Amino acid sequence: MTGYDPLVKRLLDGELALAELPPELQAEGAEALRLLAVTDRLPVTLPAALDARVMEAVRARAASPSRRVLRWIAEPRELRLRVRPWVLGAGLAAAALVLLLRAPGARVSVREPGATAARAAAPERVFVRFELYAPAAKQVGLAGTFNQWDQAATPLVRAAKAGVWTVTLALPAGQHQYAFVVDGRRWVTDPAAPAVDDGFGRRNSVIAVGGTGARAL
Amino acid sequence: MTRLAPVLLLLLAGSLAAQESTTARLNRRVPPGVAAAVRALADSAAARGLPTDPLVDKAIEGSAKGVDPERVVAAVRLVFTQLDAAAAGIRVGGVVIPDRETIEAGAFALAAGMTGQQISELVKLSITPYTPAATLRVAGTLTALGVPASQTVALVRETIRNGRASADLLVLPGRVQAQMARGESPAQAAAGLTRAAAARAGAPGQARPKGPENSRRP
Repeated sequence: MTGYDPLVKRLLDGELALAELPPELQAEGAEALRLLAVTDRLPVTLPAALDARVMEAVRARAASPSRRVLRWIAEPRELRLRVRPWVLGAGLAAAALVLLLRAPGARVSVREPGATAARAAAPERVFVRFELYAPAAKQVGLAGTFNQWDQAATPLVRAAKAGVWTVTLALPAGQHQYAFVVDGRRWVTDPAAPAVDDGFGRRNSVIAVGGTGARAL
Repeated sequence: MTRLAPVLLLLLAGSLAAQESTTARLNRRVPPGVAAAVRALADSAAARGLPTDPLVDKAIEGSAKGVDPERVVAAVRLVFTQLDAAAAGIRVGGVVIPDRETIEAGAFALAAGMTGQQISELVKLSITPYTPAATLRVAGTLTALGVPASQTVALVRETIRNGRASADLLVLPGRVQAQMARGESPAQAAAGLTRAAAARAGAPGQARPKGPENSRRP
């Protein structure tokens, strides 16, 4: 094909008709069309194993599922976003508010003029040791506001002193209510701590953990 | 309307964040009926500027203790009422917009047996370095130990008048417990400590704090 005039090539590509060629190229064009027609009518036979070989090569080059996922994640994509400026501003403000609400220790006390604002509470933690004398118990748990009242979350262990069960916890500063759970069914208040009505006919023990590291009871 | 949109979005975002937190904590911990009731109460509490965590805590506590759903919801309603009453008492005491910590401490003091009027009085007493939250927490703990509420207020008042460090206020429950361990009743222990504090406050050369009697708010 390389020896044909560019206009003849356009004829072969179907972009020109034979009559549109200059007179001096029409013979060359007609010959080229004849040769092409003969070539097109030749039967083409492919080897029988060609399909299998091609598919084998494709499978060999195909990436594993994990590689495809990685490629999908890593490949840069174009995103188009149309936002009104006031919506963007409001969205950022809302995000800032959510962060503020979730920030630990973000407390503000507003008082009347003439008085000093209360200090912001820092999220301090204080180690507190809980003990219960329960010689007949097979297991003892500690449930309270600090562990979503999950009696399995904080098991006590037997202390060296006979009949005494104990556990030490790091509690955030503040007030917590709790109870011991003996053998998974008996809720017992701490005899060494003050107690308040729990609203269900029982009592909860109370512990106030101060920021000074002392157990304030 | 367009100008109000950011404000509405802010309020919506805050409300959604609180709802998400409440729902997430209630999920799989309380029965669906209780969860729905608590969510409704939490929405009301948030709208009134009250903390919602104590409501969720109470619902989770009731379910963990195997209490009937109706009784759990009733207990959560009671907590709501105590938080609301505490916030009102604190406002009367001089804190215009009380924070979560102070409201929870006030509700605890109410649950321990104090009245709204006593809450207000304790808040009025809490002038720097004493914070209303700490004062209410100590007072609630003393009352929970069995000290009569009126005696609790008297003991806290004398301790503050005495001008001691705020840490001295925090150790009052421990001192009452120590006296109880020696055989005194809670009332006797509190009365003894109150007398001792009053005597120290009246001693010659004893510095008076900028207490409520000589430093009033405008």
